[in-house]
Amino acid sequence: MKSTRKIKTLALAVISSLICLPMTGSPANADALTATSAVVQTSATDAAIRKLVNGRTIKLGFAPPILSEAYTIAQQGAWNQMKDYETRYGVKWVWTEEAPLNNAHSGVETSGFIQNYVAKKYDAVFVCSAAPAAVMQELYKKGAAKGVQFYQFNSTEQLNQKSQKTDPTAGLSNVSNISYDNRWQSGALAAEYIAEKLKGKGEIIMILGPAGSDWTKLREQGFRSVIKKFPGLKIVGAADGGYVRDKGLNAAADLLTKYPKINAIYGENEDMALGASAAVSAAGLKNWDGKSGIITIGADGLVSGMDEIRKGNLTATVHVGYADMGRTMIRTMFAHKVLGMNVAKFIRVPTVVVDKSNVDIFQSQIKAELATGVKY
Amino acid sequence: MANQRLNILVKKFLSDSILGVIVLLLLVGGVASFTIEVFFTLQNFTNFLSGSYFVMLLAMGMTVVLISGGIDLSIGAVMALCAGIVAKLALQGNSVPVVIFCALAVGAFVGCLNGLLVTVIGLPDFIATLAMSAFATGILFIWTRGTPIVGYMNETYKQLGGLAPIYRDITVPMVTAIVVAIALGALLKTTKFGVHLFSVGSNRLATRQSGINVSKIRILAYVISGICAALSGIIMAGRNTTVPPDLGAGYEVLAIAAALIGGASLMGGRGRILGAVLGEVILAMAINIINLLGVPSSYQKIFIGGILLLAVLVNQLVISLQKKVFSRDNDKK
Repeated sequence: MKSTRKIKTLALAVISSLICLPMTGSPANADALTATSAVVQTSATDAAIRKLVNGRTIKLGFAPPILSEAYTIAQQGAWNQMKDYETRYGVKWVWTEEAPLNNAHSGVETSGFIQNYVAKKYDAVFVCSAAPAAVMQELYKKGAAKGVQFYQFNSTEQLNQKSQKTDPTAGLSNVSNISYDNRWQSGALAAEYIAEKLKGKGEIIMILGPAGSDWTKLREQGFRSVIKKFPGLKIVGAADGGYVRDKGLNAAADLLTKYPKINAIYGENEDMALGASAAVSAAGLKNWDGKSGIITIGADGLVSGMDEIRKGNLTATVHVGYADMGRTMIRTMFAHKVLGMNVAKFIRVPTVVVDKSNVDIFQSQIKAELATGVKY
Repeated sequence: MANQRLNILVKKFLSDSILGVIVLLLLVGGVASFTIEVFFTLQNFTNFLSGSYFVMLLAMGMTVVLISGGIDLSIGAVMALCAGIVAKLALQGNSVPVVIFCALAVGAFVGCLNGLLVTVIGLPDFIATLAMSAFATGILFIWTRGTPIVGYMNETYKQLGGLAPIYRDITVPMVTAIVVAIALGALLKTTKFGVHLFSVGSNRLATRQSGINVSKIRILAYVISGICAALSGIIMAGRNTTVPPDLGAGYEVLAIAAALIGGASLMGGRGRILGAVLGEVILAMAINIINLLGVPSSYQKIFIGGILLLAVLVNQLVISLQKKVFSRDNDKK
């Protein structure tokens, strides 16, 4: 009796699958109903969402801290996701990008752009800013009162993050934060990579971002917390590289003069790590070849950085998923604004250390995003 | 007789406006040599100087404009624009001489535009060059489309950027900075243009009334500044190995600081090319000392501010001492 019932259940499952299979849409981008993972969506769902959208135009603002390769990748990821929704659901998009031309870490210009977006009654704005968190939250609060939704991306809210224990908003006026944890998904990963390659023994120098930058503080915190666990690893020096290559080069060159026998250099971003790598070569020292030399590791995950990994100029980088962030921004906004779904306050994209062993996978992924030709 | 000659030379040196900068350099360098083991080594000097040549060129160009009574806030952006030109033309397969010529031509052209805006249109220097800075930055942003220009580097550009020497520790940026310093120094000291430049900076009205073409002198000053920015951009394209959209941001401030430390005046009529060089050496040395001492990055701005303040104070002290000593001598005579 029991075995007959089992057979019947199995048969039912198989038959149901055979009936349902032709009705499934493509799973690759079938994720309007969730911000983070793919579920199977049928063409019936597409039609229902299309009906809900009803040809609507959604105005989006994009406010990165500066125009750079990283934010170009994030923007392209967003555009590709927007194109998918345009095709499937008939959404019309207006996309405006405004970024400061001067000091990315002051945040002053970004505040001005946000006020513009609010004044022009944009539907949603994606913001990454170095301005003080309290200033930005005040802007978001005022904007939200006028119906504009704010989503932070590549953000550093981990620094001031309040608990959601009793407050679901965590004290934040923006809808969601789409990022990665700068401490444990960036700084700590870089340290773990160095510890693994050096088998827990060696001397390290750090090339940091500008003093006072939240990204600098968080990545340094994550990095140091892992290094502490290895008594044989020692951070002998640190210097400010300003997140730019020539300053990173100068800082690394100075530290290499004082500590010529170091085993690894951590640059908090790829530009500084590449500057450090150039300093290693200029000092007549050897870059890591897999067995010996000086390891140089950065963080970003840029096509240009991965090219340097292939050439052996950079040992590794922490790929923080800018394209993924871009796509997730749009999915989160769409789920919340159009479908009325409750989205997570903190959405973390996956990160990974990329070196010669896996650069093909991740670089080709980014290149594919950039090669779509989609533009808004 | 020999004693007299020596006396004259010593008096000349002691009355030189550059003495304050030299005293500061020796003071800071001396203290650093005793407190930091690796400071007084050839490798360390090579390191921090190699990172300073391109700013030295900007400071020299800025000094020329400051002497004329103007200011050039576009110098950093023009440097970046010329670096972009180098990268773009190199990627298109153009030869190095063509690339260099085009970058220099653009630098000179932008300098000329600045000069015309200031003389013919009559805009204040501050506004005209600030607008030009935004314009040049905007062009670079459009070219780069937010991503760095890459893929143009080869052994020649490495040498141009100073990443590879041409002979032992001698690099192209080093030679360029020395040649430009000698050329500009000679231009200001030994030519009519130099005399007229100081005259324009000291008293524009009187200079005009004495029949000198003030507009021409001012335009030429900006052209020189543009060419210096272009040279700096050529070096930067090689040193940075990529040209990102935000290249050049903030370098005009460093150039002004170096020029002022070196004795130039925002009021015009004063300045030395050697002073600009030494001013940048002091700034580069300050950063070098910070890095070697391991000063936490949160204190670095205070440290740099302290060095700048010290530079100005030492300069003022030396100038007032010079006035006292040499006026006493004149009274005795």
